Amino acid sequence: MLNYSNPITEQKSYSGLQLKEINPIMKLIVRGKKREFLSAIGQSLNLLLPNEPNTSTRTDKLTALWLSPDEWMIYSNETSNLDNNDYDIENILNKKISKTNLGAITNVTDQFVLINLKGDKIYDLFETGSPFNFNKFRNKVGSVTQTILAKIDVIIQNTNQNEVNLFVRRSFSQHLFSWMNDSASRL
Amino acid sequence: MFIIHCPYCGEREQSEFKAGGEAHISRPKQPSELSDDQWAEYLFMRKNIKGVQYERWVHTHGCRKWFNIIRDTSNDQIQAVYKMGEKPPIK
Ligand SMILES: [Zn+2]
Repeated sequence: MLNYSNPITEQKSYSGLQLKEINPIMKLIVRGKKREFLSAIGQSLNLLLPNEPNTSTRTDKLTALWLSPDEWMIYSNETSNLDNNDYDIENILNKKISKTNLGAITNVTDQFVLINLKGDKIYDLFETGSPFNFNKFRNKVGSVTQTILAKIDVIIQNTNQNEVNLFVRRSFSQHLFSWMNDSASRL
Repeated sequence: MFIIHCPYCGEREQSEFKAGGEAHISRPKQPSELSDDQWAEYLFMRKNIKGVQYERWVHTHGCRKWFNIIRDTSNDQIQAVYKMGEKPPIK
């Protein structure tokens, strides 16, 4: 049984910016290099892992983020059942990828916190604490970047015009959320 | 501060990276046959010149991959970037 204690308990709203945590979302890190690895993922999940850097792919249920030439994050588009700590997709991939030594599957559901940001001030907020140039990123839905925000490692995905999903390690999430609120209140 | 072109992620700011020292230092094939002086030479001695230098860097806060760059240490100008295992594109 999953005993989920949220690091972030409130939703925040500013002019041009809304912040909230979305949970529970299944998140898996998949790693592998072989062609058989890519095709096994494709067949098992009906999902093509993006091979172009800084991009993502998605199906109805899942999204895959490019993290590195041999590393991706797969997360569920919908929240999962609160009472369940067992994920079908992880089980399938364990059987098809880990057990056959094609690659590695790691469940990072509780390691990463997903913060959803909406509004036309998202990038104004990011610019107050990130060295990344968001000019191209903001105009291309599906873009992914791993960078630093307020000295914290984050994964950011452009999910829609004026909407992003941001993944941060759980132990940093509360601090990052309070930093974002502080920064948003001064925009 | 300068921009580094990660061979995997593209242009990123230097603060996303960490420097990993001089590149193309090969580990001696028979460490046990070396004298202490020879071992220390391999382990610690680096050119650390003013001028064009071959270096290893890692994109710590991005893709976490290692790669090589050729950098002029006097003005931080990067002359080439190439992946691990590749030959330097310029001499
Ligand atoms: Zn990179």
